[in-house]
Amino acid sequence: MKPGDRIELRIAGTGGQGLILSGKMLAEALATLGRHIAQSQTYEPTSRGGFCNSDLVVSETEVDYPLATKLDCLVLLDRLAIKPSWALLKPGALVIHDTRLCPELPPHANIQAYALPLSRTAIDLGSERVANMVALGALVALARLCPRNTLEQAVRAETPKSFLEINLDALGAGFALGEQASTASAAALAR
Amino acid sequence: MIVDSAPAFDVREYLRKEMMPHFLCPGCGHGIALRALLWALHELKVDKDKLAVVSGIGCAGRLSAYIDASTFHVTHGRPLAYATGLALARPDLRVVVISGDGDCLAIGGNHLIHACRRNLKITCLMLNNEVYGMTGGQVSPTTSEMRVTTTTPLGNSEPHFDACALAAAAGAGFVGREGTRHVPKLAELMLAGLEHPGFSFIEVLSDCTEIFGRKNEMGSSSEMILRQKSELRPEAYRDTVDTPFRANELPTGVLAKNARPEYGAAYRKAAAAIKAAAAKKGRK
Amino acid sequence: MNAADSPLAARPAVQLVSGNHACALGAVAAGCRFFAGYPITPSSEIAERLSRALPEVDGVFVQMEDELASMAAVIGASMGGVKAMTATSGPGFSLKQENLGYAAGAEIPCVIVNVMRGGPSTGMPTRPSQADIMQSRWGSHGDYPIIVLTPASVREIYTETIRAFALAEKFRTPVILLYDQAIAQLTETVQLGDGMPCAERLWASGAREAYRPYAAAPGAVPAMARPGDGYRSHTTGLNHAEDGFPTQHPETVERNLGRLLTKLDSHLEEIASWECIDCEDADVLIVAIGISARASRRALEQCRSRGLRVGLFRPLTLWPFPENALQAAAAHARSVLVPELNTGQLRLEVERLLGRDRVAGLHRIDGEPIAPEQIAARAESLAKGTP
Repeated sequence: MKPGDRIELRIAGTGGQGLILSGKMLAEALATLGRHIAQSQTYEPTSRGGFCNSDLVVSETEVDYPLATKLDCLVLLDRLAIKPSWALLKPGALVIHDTRLCPELPPHANIQAYALPLSRTAIDLGSERVANMVALGALVALARLCPRNTLEQAVRAETPKSFLEINLDALGAGFALGEQASTASAAALAR
Repeated sequence: MIVDSAPAFDVREYLRKEMMPHFLCPGCGHGIALRALLWALHELKVDKDKLAVVSGIGCAGRLSAYIDASTFHVTHGRPLAYATGLALARPDLRVVVISGDGDCLAIGGNHLIHACRRNLKITCLMLNNEVYGMTGGQVSPTTSEMRVTTTTPLGNSEPHFDACALAAAAGAGFVGREGTRHVPKLAELMLAGLEHPGFSFIEVLSDCTEIFGRKNEMGSSSEMILRQKSELRPEAYRDTVDTPFRANELPTGVLAKNARPEYGAAYRKAAAAIKAAAAKKGRK
Repeated sequence: MNAADSPLAARPAVQLVSGNHACALGAVAAGCRFFAGYPITPSSEIAERLSRALPEVDGVFVQMEDELASMAAVIGASMGGVKAMTATSGPGFSLKQENLGYAAGAEIPCVIVNVMRGGPSTGMPTRPSQADIMQSRWGSHGDYPIIVLTPASVREIYTETIRAFALAEKFRTPVILLYDQAIAQLTETVQLGDGMPCAERLWASGAREAYRPYAAAPGAVPAMARPGDGYRSHTTGLNHAEDGFPTQHPETVERNLGRLLTKLDSHLEEIASWECIDCEDADVLIVAIGISARASRRALEQCRSRGLRVGLFRPLTLWPFPENALQAAAAHARSVLVPELNTGQLRLEVERLLGRDRVAGLHRIDGEPIAPEQIAARAESLAKGTP
């Protein structure tokens, strides 16, 4: 990142998917790298259900306006979350969407979209509740936000003991999905 | 029977002389209640400097200004909530609340039931004169059925609260009732309430002669006191059937008592555990 | 960057802290040892944090039966001599006004946090708003003095919470910390440090016979008696004389109420606080608080990069309003723009001070914050004389 650069990330889905927690873990990881972070959330007044955005503004310098205005990256874990975010995408934005819960995207002129089996991977690992960790791994791998071990440290710090193993497995699986997708698209570009 | 263990009681030692003469109407029972409270405090040798009296709005609410202590005349219905903050922040103080029937049961009803539930060491006196006297005599939650007030011109048709049953049901550690007709019993009840380690609720049946009595043609203050005698009976005689007592009689004396933990002490115990856990975490 | 090489290395560690968390940390740092509250979105995190933090410093947390009771309990604790605070949002803030007026009139220090959410009534619990600007000043009945502070960042919530206690204690007044949901639930990287020294209340000393609870020179703050110290004084919400007892004697009321109502104005220099950015040469001056000020800061940069002379005036003390500072900052501005999440409450005060002719509003009430681009576009058209 160059001084003055500002990156805006959003993990979006529904309440109860653990999106605010995954945003917090990513914020912790980026903060240890010396980045200035503003993390916010938009949610509806129900603890479960309703759309939920977990946003990060990342900057080399102090963040002036702390809320998202133009998204560089968007992760979609539910089709419900498309509408509030679609108009905010920056040209060329990275969009990761879940193959089960958000299989189709509206047309957009200029985005890089990746359909990844985030929730399916979580289910295969034993709990759909860790889809947020799979998504986090995939996002960091695709957007190259920080080294994997930095993220892992943040996840360790924020996870209760009983969930640590499955969270780290999910994070690793997400990372693998992201890297595969990244390699595949690089290969496609090479052809 | 008053056991005279403390030095001779002189009520003037506990009153703010500069506030005399007081503003209570002739025949009002509140002065009797105040004197009984001061006697009980004297009997317990309560240090005036460590005594905090919190009162609400209304005739009863004005009494705090007459007591030579740290006194707080607060908003209508809220004295128990103010007292809760004061007692939690300053467990070294003895906190007494003086409230009226409107203050305690109507606008402050929620605070009463939660104060009973919480069981913090506060002694709450509710002076029940069945009427909003300060505002000119409107119906209150304790006005007896068919009594005439300025807002029930044809007689009150709402049922009235039994404040002691309410307090007991809400869990107050100590609940009692007495009328101003029996001063020694009233003073002893206050003494017992003050000695109780948790929340104590004492309902004092106190006559409003000037407004309520006049409106309902209940006669002079002495006639109203005599009327109390016919309407009250000690709790010990609750099951008596061959009674000279009338149907709407109210039991008096100690009506409920329990040994639930006092909240202030329970909180400080829980807080010490949180502090210890934090210290342990800090050392790691 | 290697942390050890950083010029920031000697400063406190960087933490990720939310606005409401920073408020709880600031309160503890300021010496707050009593909190009473009632759950309400979006302020409950303050209560949750303090339920754990206060016992660790021998303080007391209590969740009361309702909003009225929590305000009352806070005043009760403060009357006992303990620094005390409560936190709420609009619907609860309405309920707190009764006892808040008591604290203002009886001069009991306390801090009230109001995290603004959409209104009226239950409104939009999880969406930001700035529509309690006037309620924070005039919400309780009667004339009374009040201090209202409006932080705009997580770091500032921490420092302004500490300042709120300092002002409350020093001037024996309720102080309201007013910030919007967007800032409250925002998490930012901050370096908080250990806080700063917090003023202490002036306690009564000397002989009991000579003590008069409300005796003070015009505009001055009287010493307070701590229960247990032997003064045995009386406190009431009725109009009172210097001795603390009720009075309706016109001259006595005039004298005592007069002192109360001027005590903040006569210490304005100590109380007022604001930030001016690029105001000196500004053609267009933006006046904003909270999240709208953060958006304005970004809008200002966007405008300046386009060669437009735009400045920002941001009151940190909202009430009493920093009148002279605003008038000085706006001295050369042709237009003044007030972006805010309501239909014109801050604008009303700005118009009162600068006249209506050159003041324009940018208002949003749909639960969405005003984006920097919206403010920049409006400022640009004002700068070009096409409002």
